[in-house]
Amino acid sequence: MLREAYPFVEDSFSRFPSQSNIYGLCQAGEQELLAATLKGKVLCFRYQELQQKVRPVAKEVQFTYIPVDAEIVSIDAFNKSSPKRGLVVGITFIKDSGDKATPFLNIYCDYEPGSEFNLESIAQSCLNLELQFTPFQLYHTEVQCADGSSETVFLLSGHDQRIHLYKENASLHQFEEQPVERLFPELQQLPSNVLWLDMLSIAGSRRLSAFGCQNGCVGLALVNQTGPEVLQSWRVQFDSPISTVLLFPLICQTEATQPSREKSVKAEGYNLLVTSTIEMAVVYRDVQERGLTKSTCLSESDQWDAVLCALVIDLDFDGQKEVLLGTYGQELLCYKFQPAEIGGDGQFQLQWRQSFKSPLLSILYLDLTGDGLRELAVLTLKGLHILQHSLTSTADLVLERLAQRVSALTAGSKLESEAAQHSEEENDPPAQKQESTTQMPSN
Amino acid sequence: MRSLNYVQRVSLDFTGTLFPHAICLGDADNDSLNELVVGDTSGKLLIYKNDDSKPWITRTCVGMLTCVAVGDVCNKGKNFVVAVGAEGWFHLFDLTAAAASKADSSSQHEFQSSEDQKPFFTQHIPANTKVILISDIDGDGRCELVVGYTDRVVRAFRWEEPLDSSEGGSGQLVLLKKWLLEGQVDSLSVNPGPDGLPELMVSQPGCGYAILLCSWTQQDSSGSGDDAPATPGSEGPSRDVVLHLTTGRIHNKNVSTHLIGSISKGSKEESSTCGLFALCTLDGTLKLMDSSEQLLWSVQVDHQLFALQKLDVTGDGREEVVACAWDGQTYIIDHNRTVVRFQFDENVNAFCAGQYTCKEGKNSPCLVYVSFNHKIYIYWKVELERMESTNLLRVLEEKPEFKSQLKVLGVDAEDSAALRALVADVLYKDAQT
Repeated sequence: MLREAYPFVEDSFSRFPSQSNIYGLCQAGEQELLAATLKGKVLCFRYQELQQKVRPVAKEVQFTYIPVDAEIVSIDAFNKSSPKRGLVVGITFIKDSGDKATPFLNIYCDYEPGSEFNLESIAQSCLNLELQFTPFQLYHTEVQCADGSSETVFLLSGHDQRIHLYKENASLHQFEEQPVERLFPELQQLPSNVLWLDMLSIAGSRRLSAFGCQNGCVGLALVNQTGPEVLQSWRVQFDSPISTVLLFPLICQTEATQPSREKSVKAEGYNLLVTSTIEMAVVYRDVQERGLTKSTCLSESDQWDAVLCALVIDLDFDGQKEVLLGTYGQELLCYKFQPAEIGGDGQFQLQWRQSFKSPLLSILYLDLTGDGLRELAVLTLKGLHILQHSLTSTADLVLERLAQRVSALTAGSKLESEAAQHSEEENDPPAQKQESTTQMPSN
Repeated sequence: MRSLNYVQRVSLDFTGTLFPHAICLGDADNDSLNELVVGDTSGKLLIYKNDDSKPWITRTCVGMLTCVAVGDVCNKGKNFVVAVGAEGWFHLFDLTAAAASKADSSSQHEFQSSEDQKPFFTQHIPANTKVILISDIDGDGRCELVVGYTDRVVRAFRWEEPLDSSEGGSGQLVLLKKWLLEGQVDSLSVNPGPDGLPELMVSQPGCGYAILLCSWTQQDSSGSGDDAPATPGSEGPSRDVVLHLTTGRIHNKNVSTHLIGSISKGSKEESSTCGLFALCTLDGTLKLMDSSEQLLWSVQVDHQLFALQKLDVTGDGREEVVACAWDGQTYIIDHNRTVVRFQFDENVNAFCAGQYTCKEGKNSPCLVYVSFNHKIYIYWKVELERMESTNLLRVLEEKPEFKSQLKVLGVDAEDSAALRALVADVLYKDAQT
């Protein structure tokens, strides 16, 4: 039944002192991960080079203004959009002092030149915002401002059926809540509490934005960023809470029957993956064209309890992305898109599945080791697993592809030198000959 | 310290309780694939095969089984299963025939006569057994049976058959020698000595070990081989026991100590010299030494280590040292002192590691944990590509063609940012065009 083998090798496992949740993992900077645990601790995971050895290090970062009795709900981090510089970390938590639980959003960001990316000093400069609602997912996205510049903002969903926007006030050097309608008109009048939000900028300065709600409602909107105005919006109702929604592009090689003419037809469409806690995961195809009308189910994805996290990445280096689902039933599932026979739609087929020792909460794919090859970080109830591609086989693949490049290069220069010789024969002047030979290496 | 999780495991049903040495991996039925042999305190001997949760074969022995082993104890060129009880009953089983009969009459096996269930041979040997070893301890190329006792005694036996006997069953175990030690013997092992001949080693409390000399070989060489069977009855002088105490941080000189010898070094030319052996103590000291008493490394951990095994997890021919603690923490350490940790999530009753045929019909390195909840867990996919964390660039740097390709492509091999960009480009962009 399973077509391919699981391609990862576990490189390290860091056990956490207390459990995390589905909003508990984020990338911070190029090669670091931040994981938040329930009991108020934030761990920074990275690879350290020490004495010619690569070592995984999970270290606690002391973020200031998180009280000892706090329970962290969500964490997110981003690098400010250029020309601004700096890393911003947001942490939401609930301080339970016994009689009354108070939710907070802390935003950490250092303006001191030179330490904008230093996590230790960022952790010390905090903006503490008291919230009037229970926070859920903390998300960030880039928006186009009226003056044409772009800026990254936080979006925080809450149990008050609203999404709150936090944007940096450049003059005050701090973040503040601003009305969400001004920048995100599609996020008004939500049907229920939003559990997961995802946005994707697409061509023509437009954006697709999707959200999944506690009552099973999924909303999708196509928005013109200049304005901004909602061009089109769609809603669909599921029977159970939505755990994730994920927008992703997919290249469909519709010419599966003619592999020789690979480049002939290559349609790229945007797709929306929706996972819910009871039902099968669904991918809506070509959403910018067809909305939520054309759907494909990921068969068997409801077999291992609720799907809690999802990721769409190219993990076999073939240029086409695979869908990864992490379930509460301790399984990681990988689906690959199978292009259809003529006339069909194509479908996602289960490629492999891998068991873990505890429920999967969150997955990320990033280059932690700094070698260009990305690793899969899997947050489970017990800790953080770092899965590395098998280095032996990936090294072989790199060498093979480099050899192709080398042969393409030498073939190219050979052709060119032949052409140069040809031109030499035709017109003999020595000046031109020199010119043609000097041109050669530059191409 | 690198830590990771193994997940591929099978669980076997095991309702009894067992002694820590009453479990072993070996080829019990001579089909070149290993089985798991377990003996429980009620005298039941269970053989597990493949990923079947029920025992493949069950046999009943007399008394409380304290130790089991698989080996060519009779020197007949085939393996037998040995089970020894605390009361001193030695049982020998020939499971090759059982396997054959089971195969051709699987439907009838309920009617198998009780004759088939009986041991091939039983003999009473001195009681209070604790640990056994089947190995060649005197360098004559034939296996001996060594038994360690709870009363600090070690005895060596040899299987002998009358020369005129035509069929098996007429042989018996003959005592070769008895050694008396100062401390408890927790493990028995054989390790090649500096001269290349096997040496019988036993562990001694406080991270010590003793080498037991096989005096009958000296008698053989001195020409009086005929009286060899006569000598063992008398109390051997203690000069046959050479005690070695290792130096270092030993907090408690009575701490229980385990030992394993003949750790494979991989390359052939090296294996001819001194053998490697490892020691571990209940207070968390681990040592790797060679038979010239040179310390290769020492590791201190804060877990109570109670079992020590060797296993080649990287597939390079070099065996790693595997130590397990009561709380399930397992350490895999290579010859260069690179440590990989694995936490088994339950308390451990008994542990062993070795080759076992679980899935895929071939032997693979496995870790076997006996829990306190009537289950035996076999982790059957424990192979690692490498012991140390590394990255792709380091792997590529070892390939000569990588450097030449970089030169042609005009990428500076020292510029790690450029290399990183190149690798990312090759892996994540090339296939799209």
